[in-house]
Amino acid sequence: MTYRRTIPGVLAALMVMAPLGAALAHHSFAAQYDGRKTVTIEGAVTKVEWMNPHGYFFVDVVDPATGNVTSWSCEIAAPAALMRSGWTRNSLKPGDLVVVEGALARDGANALNAGNVTLAASGKKLFGRAANEEREAKQARESAN
Amino acid sequence: MRIGKLLIAAAAALPLSISLFTPAPAAEGMARKPAASADTRPTPRLADGKPNLGPEVSGIGFWDRGLGPAVGGARFPPPEEIPFQPWARALYDYRQSRTFVDDPHVRCTPPGGPRQFAVPFGLQIIQVPAIQRIFVLSGGAMRPWRVIYMDGREHPDPEVFNPSFFGHSVGHWEGDTLVVDTVGFNEQFWLHRDGYPHTHALHLIERISRPNYMSLNYEITIDDPLAYTRPWTTSWVKEWDEDEEIIEYFCNENNRDQFVLQPELAPGGK
Repeated sequence: MTYRRTIPGVLAALMVMAPLGAALAHHSFAAQYDGRKTVTIEGAVTKVEWMNPHGYFFVDVVDPATGNVTSWSCEIAAPAALMRSGWTRNSLKPGDLVVVEGALARDGANALNAGNVTLAASGKKLFGRAANEEREAKQARESAN
Repeated sequence: MRIGKLLIAAAAALPLSISLFTPAPAAEGMARKPAASADTRPTPRLADGKPNLGPEVSGIGFWDRGLGPAVGGARFPPPEEIPFQPWARALYDYRQSRTFVDDPHVRCTPPGGPRQFAVPFGLQIIQVPAIQRIFVLSGGAMRPWRVIYMDGREHPDPEVFNPSFFGHSVGHWEGDTLVVDTVGFNEQFWLHRDGYPHTHALHLIERISRPNYMSLNYEITIDDPLAYTRPWTTSWVKEWDEDEEIIEYFCNENNRDQFVLQPELAPGGK
């Protein structure tokens, strides 16, 4: 699989100015994802689960060296939260080529909690976290250890 | 270093406006209204003159976000100021150290007690004077609701009452404040995601008021002598969202995370 580390941008830093008490996940972000480990994957969407408590989309990532395909699970916020930031249930469809930046799952699975999602065909950018999840992710990115 | 100084200077020059207003993050895509404190509309009232803690005739609006700094917009004292029994402090620390993976709410179970006022997707308060009951409807989890009896009844015999997530609540008005007294809780929920323990001995007193149109004051007194050495009180404010309704949300529709966070509870888990 291909992945590269990315450095959170100024935009992500500005996002910490989220209203207090904004919608949050029903469990702690930090329990499942490591905000200090940002990975970026590219590939084709194979499936979208537009459901509660979290949406998911799955991406087939091809290792250019070997041709091996790995399926990555990308967790996004609840549909109601995502629709406040421009998503609809049709924003991602199987076959869409995407670049996904996210926080790596702690348990070693090919899974991430998606931040920036870019649709390759149109360049459209979406953001996968609700405001409070992003605040937790940012706190993790900036934590000392 | 020059660049460092430049950045510090730039940060210092950042307008005061950033701290004074609560901007939506770029991802939100829509402007936030001014803070609740800027709205001066008075408390709405029912026909009998009591404060209306819920929607008016239009039916639009609900209590969504909280304004406190803790998860869900709640506010709690720092742990050193909470009169934990030693075992309860140890349990609180343990829950924190595990990043809250053991929270029953991960499995979409109901948010008992004050947890109902500090979870996503908000709540609605519906007063039905005709039958002397108040219903608090949660938008999240599995849309659980609780009932507050306003007919002056007593709490049932604890030997008979089956401990439950929401307990047995009786309420009365003290002026414009709804005072709710609840006993009969089970121990299958956390008071808040930060992990404050409680036992079946919990006697919860809630004082709920709507001092102006946009604000719900929510004050709790935790009286649980098995978990705490004395009763303690905290409070936070929830803000009315007048543009939206509670959406349909069922937490266990596709709850994949529970099998990651609480694998022992998965089918076939050890």
